[in-house]
Amino acid sequence: MMKTRTWILLFSILLIVGIAASVAVFFGRTGGTVANIYQDGVCIRSIDLSTVDAPYDFTVSCDSGENTVSVERGRICIRDADCPDQVCVAFGWLADSAAPIVCLPHRLVIRIEKQAKSGGIDAVAR
Amino acid sequence: MSRMQRIARDAVLTAVGLAVFWIELQIPTPFPIPGVKLGLSNVVTLFAMFTLGPWDTLVILAVRILLGGIFSGQIMSLLYSAAGGLLCYLVTLGMRKLVTPRQIWTCGIMGAIAHNAGQLAVAVAVTQTPQLLAYAPILLVSAILTGLFTGLLTQFLITRLKQIFLKR
Repeated sequence: MMKTRTWILLFSILLIVGIAASVAVFFGRTGGTVANIYQDGVCIRSIDLSTVDAPYDFTVSCDSGENTVSVERGRICIRDADCPDQVCVAFGWLADSAAPIVCLPHRLVIRIEKQAKSGGIDAVAR
Repeated sequence: MSRMQRIARDAVLTAVGLAVFWIELQIPTPFPIPGVKLGLSNVVTLFAMFTLGPWDTLVILAVRILLGGIFSGQIMSLLYSAAGGLLCYLVTLGMRKLVTPRQIWTCGIMGAIAHNAGQLAVAVAVTQTPQLLAYAPILLVSAILTGLFTGLLTQFLITRLKQIFLKR
């Protein structure tokens, strides 16, 4: 059907585009400071990271388990989780990347955005 | 080949696919990105598609997905495996008649891309957060690289095993 050379060209282009897009996503800035935490698609908590004083942790629970979220000024991470793959914990700190932190088994997503999506914003930390 | 021989042959391939799948699960992931994996069990699927035909491949894939989900203990992963596997199967099926034996590696890549796309789609649907699509580029890159590896592996397996006759 297609010459092998065409396939190689096609995949090379896809690869370059993919790498470029990956870099853009990972190093791209969303320009926001609000960490929106989504559980099953619903934003259950919004934290304005720029106004956080003392670091604090809190737990998010769902029917399949728990995630411990850690908040510091300007960044957020999942410190601990009881999910089997631990991908969310391995992600580390999220400061201002376009990539979200995901815990797929617990359907938990943390994303940096410009606006708070839930009712009350966490503007003041303990 | 009698029916029993056919069943036995497919069962062996299913077992191999399952074993490879299981071993791959034990390898710690170097990248903290959901969905990035070697996809070695696709070698079995691809191999079956080009040597046994679509029906046997479908059965082998379905049984491996089912048993893999049960053995790994996570029923939720069944949804992801099924979506990824099905899309990969359909794409490979579509390409089956279009590529030459020396181009089987292209099916490896396209299948891997389809697999990751299927899993990403399920993830977006399950978590109901389209923002997960931010992972699409990195999954594309991963798919191309791992798909090339598994595709080439399968191609060498098929073209250099003289006793296996290509069925297309």
